[in-house]
Amino acid sequence: MDSSYNQRFNRWARMNQEEFKEKWNQEKAIHEAWGKLIVNKLSESLADEGKDLDSFLKLPAKHRLKDDKSLIDKAFYRADKQYRDPYSEIEDKVGARLVVLLIEDIKDICKIVESCELWTFDPCKHFDNDRHESPLLFTYQSVHYILRPSEEIEYDGVTIGTEFPCELQIRTLLQHAHAELTHDAIYKAQKTVQPEVSRTVAKCMALIETTDTFFSEVTQKLNYGPLQEHRINDKMNSLYSNLTGIQPINCKSSLTIWDQFEQFLDDSLIDKIKAFTEDDNYKVVIDNIPQRLNTNIIYEQSIILFVYWMLLFKKRRLLRDWPLDKNLLEPLANDLGVTLEG
Amino acid sequence: MHLLNFNVDRIIIHQVFQRDLDGSKVPPTQSHEFTRFDSSALEAFRTRVKDAIGDGSKAVQMEIVDQGDHDLPTLVNNMVDQNDDDFAVSSYDAAKLLNDVQNSKSIPGGIVVVFSGTHGSPSKKFWGVMKADIYSGYKKEVNPRTNEISLEFIKELLLTPASRLYKTAVFIEKANYEADCSDLNDKWFVLVSDSQINKADGKAAAKYFYSGFLGCGYPETSARTTKKFYEHAHKFIEDLDMPETSKVNLYNALTTYLKVDQASTVSSSEFAERYIDNIDVQDEFTCYMREQGLPGNAFTKDLEHIQTKLKFRKIKFRRNIQIQAPADKFEQFITMKPINGNEDENGVPEKWTQVTIKDSIVGQE
Repeated sequence: MDSSYNQRFNRWARMNQEEFKEKWNQEKAIHEAWGKLIVNKLSESLADEGKDLDSFLKLPAKHRLKDDKSLIDKAFYRADKQYRDPYSEIEDKVGARLVVLLIEDIKDICKIVESCELWTFDPCKHFDNDRHESPLLFTYQSVHYILRPSEEIEYDGVTIGTEFPCELQIRTLLQHAHAELTHDAIYKAQKTVQPEVSRTVAKCMALIETTDTFFSEVTQKLNYGPLQEHRINDKMNSLYSNLTGIQPINCKSSLTIWDQFEQFLDDSLIDKIKAFTEDDNYKVVIDNIPQRLNTNIIYEQSIILFVYWMLLFKKRRLLRDWPLDKNLLEPLANDLGVTLEG
Repeated sequence: MHLLNFNVDRIIIHQVFQRDLDGSKVPPTQSHEFTRFDSSALEAFRTRVKDAIGDGSKAVQMEIVDQGDHDLPTLVNNMVDQNDDDFAVSSYDAAKLLNDVQNSKSIPGGIVVVFSGTHGSPSKKFWGVMKADIYSGYKKEVNPRTNEISLEFIKELLLTPASRLYKTAVFIEKANYEADCSDLNDKWFVLVSDSQINKADGKAAAKYFYSGFLGCGYPETSARTTKKFYEHAHKFIEDLDMPETSKVNLYNALTTYLKVDQASTVSSSEFAERYIDNIDVQDEFTCYMREQGLPGNAFTKDLEHIQTKLKFRKIKFRRNIQIQAPADKFEQFITMKPINGNEDENGVPEKWTQVTIKDSIVGQE
């Protein structure tokens, strides 16, 4: 771009700076409302998915208006950004940010963002794409969406039109740490950044990407097994509530039991347990579960059906590897008339 | 599975005594009140009953033989419908019957627990009796001040978890029967748990209880059930996914268990736990046998229909070669193991068997 063009462009832009400010001041409240609505909606959807926001989000979810000074700076004085219509082209006048622990958590949020009908989305940045396009580059990583209302909405006493953008950033905690360093320390550096500093920052990103992958691997190994793969818990809970009319409770002790007998957890397990519950001979035992609710907490958990099944079909394995107090099995064995004596 | 979801409603206790030095009867001590257990004691009692006669126990099914007015089966048949007062009186009649048949000074006294309740759906009745030997034992005492533990001697202790210390019989009302059936066997299914029955030649020692007192006998179907056990166990081993040479030990075990072992009862659980190494295969075996209609508990052994089968063990090879040996000698004198033979054109060795017979040849045809 030649220098005469730049001069002409800047002259044209300066002419609009006052108008820009005025418009921004008029519409701040609308941007503010839109950012707030997005954060509230996302928090609500995550909670609906069963996420505990206090632990799932590593920083409280917040929206933030760009401050006047940096907005003007970005619109008119940044050498790397030259806008024809800065007011509408700058899409991060209001931003919201979600910071999570794992790459997988980001995927969960993306699913929610992309399926919500409240807004239209423009996936303007994704680290997966960046990695694909510039495999040799280690730099700022994050997921960015520009969200605009899919139709005009009333919120917080203002009307938000479909042209109002909000930039949503989604990152891991480590990506966030890197962004904080680069944004605060590098962009705002008082002197020219030396190549070796840039090189070190790039090394940090490489390390962070590696660590994020290890984090995911560890979490997957800790939390993913046949129980999750075959969705055993959900299926057992629905079987239990269909049979008893009672909503089962979930206790940690049942995870201990599933863990211990992991070798039996496969696609056919639920069918086998179902077949047992449908057997006329054992109907009386299943029908009696509601009457026994107060006698022992295991009667309130869907895993009782698995333990009954084990008592009938895998008794010796059950007795040998039972991870909890053996006395817990006695009442269940009594229900079935199965002896536990060797 | 005979007692599903069973509840015990009434429990009453009497005591019978050993004959005195002259061999004369000592009258039993009678209770008039029912025993009221709290819920945990009742659950423990349920456990004792279930451990004695439940699925996987050593209890055996018996047939009602004595059906006269004064025999126990008739008494039971009447008792289950009686009100509490009459039930209490009749239960003492049962204790007297037991006292009468304990006609040898060698038979110890004990506590007679008579109980009844319901099971299954639609709800059916059951009636039970336990004769519990009395032992001494200790009770833990904790000094509340010092937390020191001491033991208090208890001279008379009973119904501990060891079911060999008591004899149990349960009459279980069948799901379907004619209201006016004349044979009590049509209405009642009887299970008897008595550790003496399971012992080698234990029938005689146990007879006063199952026959004299309960009026029962071994079922006529024992021989058929034993044959069924042999055939299905054989089939189970045959279908196991393991090399034939590894099955040799299991076939040997089946013969040993039925023929060589002197116990008078047979059970799938006992065979599994004694002879099958892998615990999951043990579970598969007992489930398979139950699916084939064999009792989940024990049954009395009668080898009548399988004598010839048990006489010889035969091993057949593909080229019409056979090894035959008396069943009781096979395990002791013949060992075999798989070895690699000549290689075929692809370099894969043929599967051969190396047989060792610990004996010399005495004749040839």
